Amino acid sequence: MAELNEQQIDLISAYIRQHGVAQDELHDDILDHVCTSIEHLMDGGDSFEKAFEKTIKLFGPGGLKQVQQQTFELLTEMNETMKKVAFAFGLTSAILLLAGTSFKLMHWPGAGVMVVIGSALLVLAYLPMLLWHKLKESPRNETLMHISGFLGLTSTAIGVLFKIMHWPGASVTLITGMAVLGLIYMPIYFYKKYKVSSNKPVTLSTSLVAGTCLILVVALINVKSSSDMNRGLSLISDQLAETNKGFDELNVLYDRLGDDQQAMQIRSRADELVQAIEDLKTHLIAQSEGITEEQASNIEMRYVNSRWIYDIPTHIMFAEDENTLPYSIYAVEDKIRDFKEYVVDVYQPDMQGTIDSMFPIKLDSGYEIDGKKTDWAKYHYYHVPLIGVVSELSNIQVTIRNSEMQALIYMISQSDASDPPSGS
Amino acid sequence: MHKIQMYICLMYSSELIKGTLKTLVLNLLAKHDRMYGYEITQHVKERTEEKIQLTEGALYPLLHRLEADGLLTTEKVSIGKRVRKYYKLTKTGKQAATTLSDEFRQFSKTMNKLLDTFQSKPQLQWLN
Repeated sequence: MAELNEQQIDLISAYIRQHGVAQDELHDDILDHVCTSIEHLMDGGDSFEKAFEKTIKLFGPGGLKQVQQQTFELLTEMNETMKKVAFAFGLTSAILLLAGTSFKLMHWPGAGVMVVIGSALLVLAYLPMLLWHKLKESPRNETLMHISGFLGLTSTAIGVLFKIMHWPGASVTLITGMAVLGLIYMPIYFYKKYKVSSNKPVTLSTSLVAGTCLILVVALINVKSSSDMNRGLSLISDQLAETNKGFDELNVLYDRLGDDQQAMQIRSRADELVQAIEDLKTHLIAQSEGITEEQASNIEMRYVNSRWIYDIPTHIMFAEDENTLPYSIYAVEDKIRDFKEYVVDVYQPDMQGTIDSMFPIKLDSGYEIDGKKTDWAKYHYYHVPLIGVVSELSNIQVTIRNSEMQALIYMISQSDASDPPSGS
Repeated sequence: MHKIQMYICLMYSSELIKGTLKTLVLNLLAKHDRMYGYEITQHVKERTEEKIQLTEGALYPLLHRLEADGLLTTEKVSIGKRVRKYYKLTKTGKQAATTLSDEFRQFSKTMNKLLDTFQSKPQLQWLN
């Protein structure tokens, strides 16, 4: 009986690997099969080359690759229930995510719940099943690819979920996920496909779908924040906050009025109001950004990542439960009314009507959004992004201080007129 | 020769081949204690006078699937630089072999009977 030498076996082994059988177990089977067949043919009088050629012919053109492919197909045939369950999970999560996103865009209620359940299904059920299936289906040298794909997708999905829900840590998770997908999964995937050059239409369409999804996600996130617009608005917001600090000089005016009762009333009202608004701003930033109030009081708007979200600010300012009541925008509105009364009272009776109507914060003008009547609070703060809310609140603070200053100057001029300094 | 092979391929639907191949391989292994791949193909070729071509392309995927399903186990024996894998029935594999062969015998008996009754009728009936 003929026996092949080591070189011949190596040659055959390399040939089999080269022609598409990468999986080790199958490779061993085929190698032994081919070797045995060659040995038998050589016993019948054929040369090694001739026997090799004859044996390989039995597999037909491209036959070796087909053997591997068929083996994978048979091995990974999911049973019917599993297929149905996986399909159901995938479909449900896709529908929930799509509906949730649409609801979110339309500001309809229930968007959050749908997105959370959809993502949970995707991350906890569908993707693990897909990974399990892929790992079973593919040869061992593709394990890294599939695991990186799984981790990347999972992390991206969680990142998108957190981003949409405005939970902390969204950006880091999202970036990590996309980095894993972009720097590990995609390169390996395309390299493998290029090398094997057998793009199955299914996997191609899958990668296409995945790519589109990624683009959509990126587009969805970027739509809201062109960097120029960001810079401009952050500048306004920070500038307004800066202006507020300049009003410390009002002390000089109060000193001139001494212990005037009316002046002290105005001072306490103005200080209280401005402080309340400052607290509200800090609270809004802290809650939206997920940082402490102390951090929030020092941060500049251009460093606040959550400046474009509006649901947390809206939720806080328009909440009706008692915990958040101190931060209700209507409480601020009441304080503004109160302050305005004291300011108007400073002026002479015949001027009060004019001063009242000229007060720059128009609480009672008819406001309209999309043709529907609404009030001052809703018009300025309902579903307005954090950056807008904070800027507007800073603007109110500046206005309050300005009105206070005008009233003080008026009072000083009045007292100077009635009580001229001696010597003039 | 090539034409005949094609004809055989066309004659058996893939579903039929799938089902019968499994029965065939399991029962072959039930008769022999353990066999390796090449041995199985040669055996089937000889016994069936090459009427059933158990090709390499069909055998190995099937063996791997049966192993994954727990019907077969393997024993590896090194022969020089290469490894020979012997396939062997497990307990469930033995049961499956009997069930499948019984089922197939029953099926072919019924089919035969049925075909006989069809063919005993006048062949030119449709001309009337």
